[in-house]
Amino acid sequence: MPFVIGTDVGGTFTDLWIASGDGETRVFKSPTTRDVLGGVIDAMQMAAKAYGLSFEDFCADITRFGHGTTVGLNALLTGTAAKTFVITTKGFGDTLEIGRLRRQTSGMNEFEMTDAFLRNRHPPLAPRSQIIEVDERIDANGNVIAALDDAEADRAVGQLVAQGAQSIAVCTLFSVVNPAHELKLRDRIRAALPDAFISLSHEISPSVGEYARMSTTLANAALGPIAGRYLSRLEDILRNAGMKVPVLMMTCAGGVLPTAVLNDRPVFALFSGPAGCVVGSRALGELIGAENVLTTDIGGTSFDVGAIVQGKPIMRGQISIAGADLNVRSIDVDSIGAGGGSIASVEMGDLRVGPKSAGANPGPVCYGRGGTEPTATDADLVLGVLDPENFLGGQMRLDKEAAARAIEEKIAKPLGLSVMEAAWGIRQILDSRMADLMRRMTLERGYNPRDFVVLANGGAGPSHAWVLSAELGLDSFVVPAAATAQSAYGIATCDLGFVAERPVYVRVGPGAKPADERLASVSAALKSASAEAEGLLREASPQSRITLERRVSIRFRGQTNHMDIAFASEAMNMESYGQLVQDFNTQYETLFGRGASFSQAGYEILGIQVAATAHLPPPSIAGAGEPLVKAKTRMVVFDDPANAVETVIYKTSYPPPGTQADGPCIIEFPGQSVVVPPNYKASADKYGNLHVKRVQS
Amino acid sequence: MQQQGDAISPVVFEIIRNRLIAITEEMRVALQSVSGSPTVTEASDFFTGLFTPQGEVASMGFQVAYHAPVSGAFIRHISGKPGMNVRDGDMFIGNDPYIAALHQNDVQMVAPIFAGDQIILWAGVEAHEVDVGGMDFASWSPKAKEIWQEGMRIPCVKLIDRGEMREDVLEMIVTASRLPALLGLDIRAFIATLNVARDRINELVARYGAATVSEASRRVITSTETRMRARLRELPDGQYHAADFLEHDGHTNVLYSLDVQITKSGDTLTLDFSNSSKQSPGFINATRPGLMGAVAGAVLATLAWDMPWNEGVLNPVKVICPDGLICTAKFPAPVGSATVETVWVAANATMLGLNKILSASPKYRYRAQGLHAGAMATFNLGGINQFGEPFGLHLMDPLAAGSAAFPSKDGVSGGGPITSPVSSIADVERNEQVVPLFYFHRRLAPDTGGAGRMRGGLSVEVALTLGGIDKAQALVMTHGAEVANSMGLNAGFPGATIRQTWGTNAALNGRRVDAPFEIFGPKPGLMTMTNRDVFAVSWQGGGGYGDPLERDADAVAKDIIEGSVSLQAARTIYGVVYRDGVDRPATESLRNEMRRERVGGTFADNVSRKYRGNTDDGAALTDGLRIVRDGGDFHVVSKAGYILATNSTRWREGAVAQTMEQLPDEFGIRLHEDLRATCWHCPASGALLSVDFHYKHRNAPDDAIIEPHAIKAMLDA
Repeated sequence: MPFVIGTDVGGTFTDLWIASGDGETRVFKSPTTRDVLGGVIDAMQMAAKAYGLSFEDFCADITRFGHGTTVGLNALLTGTAAKTFVITTKGFGDTLEIGRLRRQTSGMNEFEMTDAFLRNRHPPLAPRSQIIEVDERIDANGNVIAALDDAEADRAVGQLVAQGAQSIAVCTLFSVVNPAHELKLRDRIRAALPDAFISLSHEISPSVGEYARMSTTLANAALGPIAGRYLSRLEDILRNAGMKVPVLMMTCAGGVLPTAVLNDRPVFALFSGPAGCVVGSRALGELIGAENVLTTDIGGTSFDVGAIVQGKPIMRGQISIAGADLNVRSIDVDSIGAGGGSIASVEMGDLRVGPKSAGANPGPVCYGRGGTEPTATDADLVLGVLDPENFLGGQMRLDKEAAARAIEEKIAKPLGLSVMEAAWGIRQILDSRMADLMRRMTLERGYNPRDFVVLANGGAGPSHAWVLSAELGLDSFVVPAAATAQSAYGIATCDLGFVAERPVYVRVGPGAKPADERLASVSAALKSASAEAEGLLREASPQSRITLERRVSIRFRGQTNHMDIAFASEAMNMESYGQLVQDFNTQYETLFGRGASFSQAGYEILGIQVAATAHLPPPSIAGAGEPLVKAKTRMVVFDDPANAVETVIYKTSYPPPGTQADGPCIIEFPGQSVVVPPNYKASADKYGNLHVKRVQS
Repeated sequence: MQQQGDAISPVVFEIIRNRLIAITEEMRVALQSVSGSPTVTEASDFFTGLFTPQGEVASMGFQVAYHAPVSGAFIRHISGKPGMNVRDGDMFIGNDPYIAALHQNDVQMVAPIFAGDQIILWAGVEAHEVDVGGMDFASWSPKAKEIWQEGMRIPCVKLIDRGEMREDVLEMIVTASRLPALLGLDIRAFIATLNVARDRINELVARYGAATVSEASRRVITSTETRMRARLRELPDGQYHAADFLEHDGHTNVLYSLDVQITKSGDTLTLDFSNSSKQSPGFINATRPGLMGAVAGAVLATLAWDMPWNEGVLNPVKVICPDGLICTAKFPAPVGSATVETVWVAANATMLGLNKILSASPKYRYRAQGLHAGAMATFNLGGINQFGEPFGLHLMDPLAAGSAAFPSKDGVSGGGPITSPVSSIADVERNEQVVPLFYFHRRLAPDTGGAGRMRGGLSVEVALTLGGIDKAQALVMTHGAEVANSMGLNAGFPGATIRQTWGTNAALNGRRVDAPFEIFGPKPGLMTMTNRDVFAVSWQGGGGYGDPLERDADAVAKDIIEGSVSLQAARTIYGVVYRDGVDRPATESLRNEMRRERVGGTFADNVSRKYRGNTDDGAALTDGLRIVRDGGDFHVVSKAGYILATNSTRWREGAVAQTMEQLPDEFGIRLHEDLRATCWHCPASGALLSVDFHYKHRNAPDDAIIEPHAIKAMLDA
C-alpha cells in the first residue's frame, strides 16, 4: 500500500501524518528525542506497527517523505552549531557585535523592552576572534575601489588554515553588486581547505545591507556541517530500510526541496514547523474551497497565526533568531506568548494573563506536577471545557479541585469574584489577546478578517476557536482533520518550491521615468533569478511542470520599508514598469488608506524575487471515519459564568463524512476538544474536517 | 481612585488595556511603514501615543520617551484655545517649542477621537523631520541668536478639517522645507497613523461603549501610578544630587550645567533644577516642554522598567525650575538643537540622580548604573546627491555610543541610549546606496568604555568621506567632546569623550592617504566637505561601575585579547600587567602601589577611625561603602573598616580627595577648562569611592543624604 508521509519535529512531540492508498489518513506522535533522529524513527515505527508492517516493508511502500526539523534552530539557539569563521571587509569586522543596535533588544517582548537590565541576551553569532578582515573595497555601484590582491587573500586564508577552520562565511561590502572578491576568496579557500563548508553572502543572501547578510551567511555556514550530517544519517537509515524516494525538506518559504538541493543552503530550512502548518492550511483551504485562510495554533506557551490571502501565504523577507536578523524568505507566522500554560496573576488589583508561562514543567496546577500558579488550562478545566479524565486521550488525569483552589486563592478572592467568574475572566483576557494578534495579521495588512476562514489547530485551538472567530465577526470556523499535526500534514502534501532573489537599484525622481539601462538591469536580474529557481527545481523533479511567479520590491523614494508587488512580465520595460507602479499605488492605498500614496516622491526599486513551484500530486483523502459516540454530559460555561450549560460530550478520532452534531456539545478527539457552543452546529466534510457554524436561533 | 476603577470589571479593564497597547503598536507600524525619514524608520526618533481628553498619556510606544508629555501639552493647548472648534475628523499640526515641542524639527499631529459628541481620547504622533526650513539646512543653526532664524514654527494649525485636508495649508508647510517631498510623505504617514488609531478606538467603543473605554483609559493611568508610588515607597527617603554639563552654545565655548536636587519622600519625587545655568545665547537651550520631556524620559527608563509606560509614572513627580534657565529658556531664545543638548543632558543628570537612589536601595542596587550614550553628536550633510537631487541627511550612527555597566555585568558596546529602547542604525551599505557617503570603517573603538569593576560598553567609531559627489555642506557639532557625560557610578569612570577629527585631503578615490588630522572642538559648525576630506569620529563609551582596580584581572586580560582595552590602559587604569597573560604578582604589586599613591603615599591607620565591629553586619550604601551601627549611632565605613562619617551619609568629609584638571590620556577623556574631576578615596586602603565632575571653583556636594528613618530601615532589614 503506498504511503505519503509528513514528519514534523516539534519541541515536545515529533508528529507523523500519513495518508495510505485507500485515502485514510492517520496521525502518530512520539516524544522528540535529544538527537531528534530517534523521535522520527520512533514515530515511523509506531506507524509501521499500526499498519501491521515491518519497518522495512513500510519504508519500501513510501511514495513520498516530507520532513521538517528543528535541528538547525536548536543548534543556533544553544550555540552548538559549527564554529564558523567570517571573512569581511577591513574596517567592518564588528558588524555582528554592533548589530545595528538591534541585537541587544532582539527577542525581548513588549513587557521586557522597557528594561535595560534585560538587554544583550544574545551574544553575536560569532565572536571577534573568529572574524578576519581583508583589505578590499567595492562601492555601491560595484566599482572596485580597492582590489583584493593575492597576498591579502592568501594572508586571510592562511589564518583560516592556521585555525583549522571547517565552516567559513564570506561577506564583503557590496558583494551583491560585484561578487568578484567573494568569488576570489572562495577559490583560494577551496584550494587550501578543500573540505571546508563555505558560504558566500552574495549567493546565500543576495540583498543590500551587510548586517543581516553577514548574519544569514554565517548562520548558513554554521549549520552546514550539522544539517548535512543529520540529513545524510536520516536518508541513510531510510534508504537502508528500503525507502526509494528522497527526503523532501520543508523550507521556511513554504516549499519542499530534496536534501541534495538544500545541502548548500541549510539556513533556508531553519524554521520549518510553522511554515508547514500554514502550507497545510493552504492545502486544506484548497480542498474546502477557501481562498483566504487565517490559521491559528494554540500550544502550551505560544499562539501562532498565519494568513493565506487568495491562496498565497503572507510572506516576510527577514526573521530574527538568536538575536540576529536573518534574510530568510519565510511564511509570515506571527506569535505571542499566550497559550494553555499562560499564568494568570493579580498584582495591585489588576488581573494579568501571561506572558509568563508555566510551560510543560511544572505546567498548569491541574497537572499535579508542582505548579502553583493558575493557568489558562486550569481555567478551561474549571469551566468544564476540558475533561479531567480524557486529557491527551486519557494519558493524563487532571486535578480539577486543585485548579479551582488555585484560581480561588490567587484570582477570585483578591478580586472579589466567584471561581467561575475568575476562570471565565482568565479565558476572556487570553482570548482577547489572541484575537488582537489575529487582527494584527489581517487589519494591519489591509485585509478584512470577515473575508477569512479560521482554521483551529494545536491542542487548545479547537476549544477557543468559537470565541476567536466571533471576536473577529465570523460565524464559523473549521477544525482540520489533522489539527494536532497540521505541520506534518502540510509537509507531507507540499509542492516543491524555491525562491531566488536578486538585488537591483533603480531610483526614479518625481515625475521622471527610469533610464532604459536601469530597466535592463531589472530584466537581467529577473532572467538570472528565473534560471536559478527553475534550474534547481528541474534538478529536483525533472518531469514536473514548473511555474514561476515574479515579484518586485518597490517603495516611494526615500522610504525604508518596501512592498513586494507581483510582477506578471518576464522582463521590465516602460510598460510593465508603469503597471508595477500602478499596482504598488493601489496596494499601498489598500494598506494605508486612500490618499496615503505619494507618487510625487518618486520610486525606488530594490530587488526582485522569483518563486518557482513544481506541483506534486496530493494524496487522495477520503476516510470512512469512526462514528461519534455520546460519552456523557457535563456542565460547561460558554458565555455566562453563573450559568453553566449541560453539554453533550462525544468521542471520536475521525468523524465520518456527513456527521452532524448540534451545540452545545464538545467533541473530544485524542489530543483536542472541539467546543461547539449553543446555537452552533458541527458537520464533518468528506476529508474529516469539522465545520462549526452558527445556526439561526 | 479606587472607586472610579470599580465601575468596570478587572477583566474588561485588562482586555481594553491590552487593546490600547496593541493600537499604539499598530500606530507605530503605520508610521514606520509610510514614513520616508531614516530618523523615523531606522533610528525610531518618533512617538506615538493615546491621550485622555485632559492630555494625559494613557498608552505610548517604546520610541523616544522624551516626547511623552509633549503631545499632551499640545492637546491641552488646543482644548484651551479660544475660538478653536474641535470637531470629529479634525487633525492638528504643530511644532512650536514655546507651546509644545522639544525643538522645531519635531513635527507632531494630534486628532480627537469622538464618541457621539464627546471626545473620549486623542491620538498623537510626532517625528523628527530632517528639514523644516531656517537659515541652515537641517534646521540646525549654531549661529542663531533668536528663534526666528531657526526652522519654521507651526503653533497650532488645523490641517484636516472634518476629514478634509487643507491642501493650501499643507503646501505652505512643506514649502518652508528644503526637502518638501520628504516632509510631505511624513505628514501623510502621520495621517495614516492617526486614522489607524481612530478606526481602532471606534471599534473598541462600538464593542464596549464610550463610558467603559474612557474609564479604562483613565484606569490604565491610575494602575501604573499605583505601581510607581509603590516603587517609590520602596526606595530610601533622602536628598540626592546629580549634575551634568554641556559645553559650547554655538557662539562661545562656555560650560553650562544641568543640576538636579532630588528629594525622595514617601511616594513622591521632587526634582529641583533651580541651580542649573542661566539660558544661553545659542541654540542649545530647551523650553519648559523640553525639560518636562527630559524628566519623563529619565524617570520612565530608570524607575518604571516593569510597568506600562504612561502618565501614571509621572504623576508622583514634581518638577521645580524657574523660567529663564537653560532648560526653561524664555522666548525668543533659539532652541534648535535642544533635543541633543539641554534635553539630553537634563535627562542625563536626572538618570544619574535616580540611579543613586537605586544604588542606596538593597532591593534594587543590582540594577543601579551610570549613564548610557551621554551625548548624541550631530553630523548633518546637505547639497545635491549622487542622483542630482537636493538632499539633507542627519547621520544616526552616533546613537551607537556605549551603554553603562551594571554591578554584575559590563555595559553593552554600541548599545545606545535607553530612553529610546528600539533605536537602530542603518547598514553602511544601505546608507551608501541612497546617500552620498563612503565609509572607511564602522567599528568598536578601543579604550572608550568607562573604566570600572564592571566596564562600560565601547562606543562605535566611523570614518567617512563623500561618495558619488564632489562636495557638500557639512554641519559638525556636539557636546561631550570636553565633558564626560556618560558618567560612571559608585567609583566607575565615565566613558571616553567624543573625538571628532577632520583630515583635509586625507582621501583619494575612496582610499585613505597620509594627511594630518585636525582635532575638532565641540562645535566646529558648518563647513564645506569634499570627497578628499575624511571625517573620523568616535562617540562616548558607557559609564563604568565600581573601582577599576577591583576589576578581575582575567576580565581585563579578555578585554586586551578582544581589543576592548589597550595594554597601556590596562596598566594605567586597571593596574594590570599583561605579558602573554596576566602577570599576577606584578599586577598585585602595581595595584597596591596605585592605591597608596591615591592617598598620598601612606595609608591612614588612626585607631579612632577604625570601626571595631564586623562591617558585613551593616547595610551596603554603595559598591564600596557600608552603613554600620555603633550603639545608638551609625557610621559610614569603607570596606577596610575606616569610618568616614558618623550619623550622616555625608561621607566625603572623611575621604581623601584628589582633584584633576585632566585625567591620564588612557581614559580618552578630555575636560573643558572650567571642568574638574575629583576622585574620593578611602584613607586607609586607597579604595576609590566616587568620581565627581564639577565646576573648577565649586566642589561637588554630597550626593546621597539619606534620612535617618530610612537608614534605620536599611539597617533593620
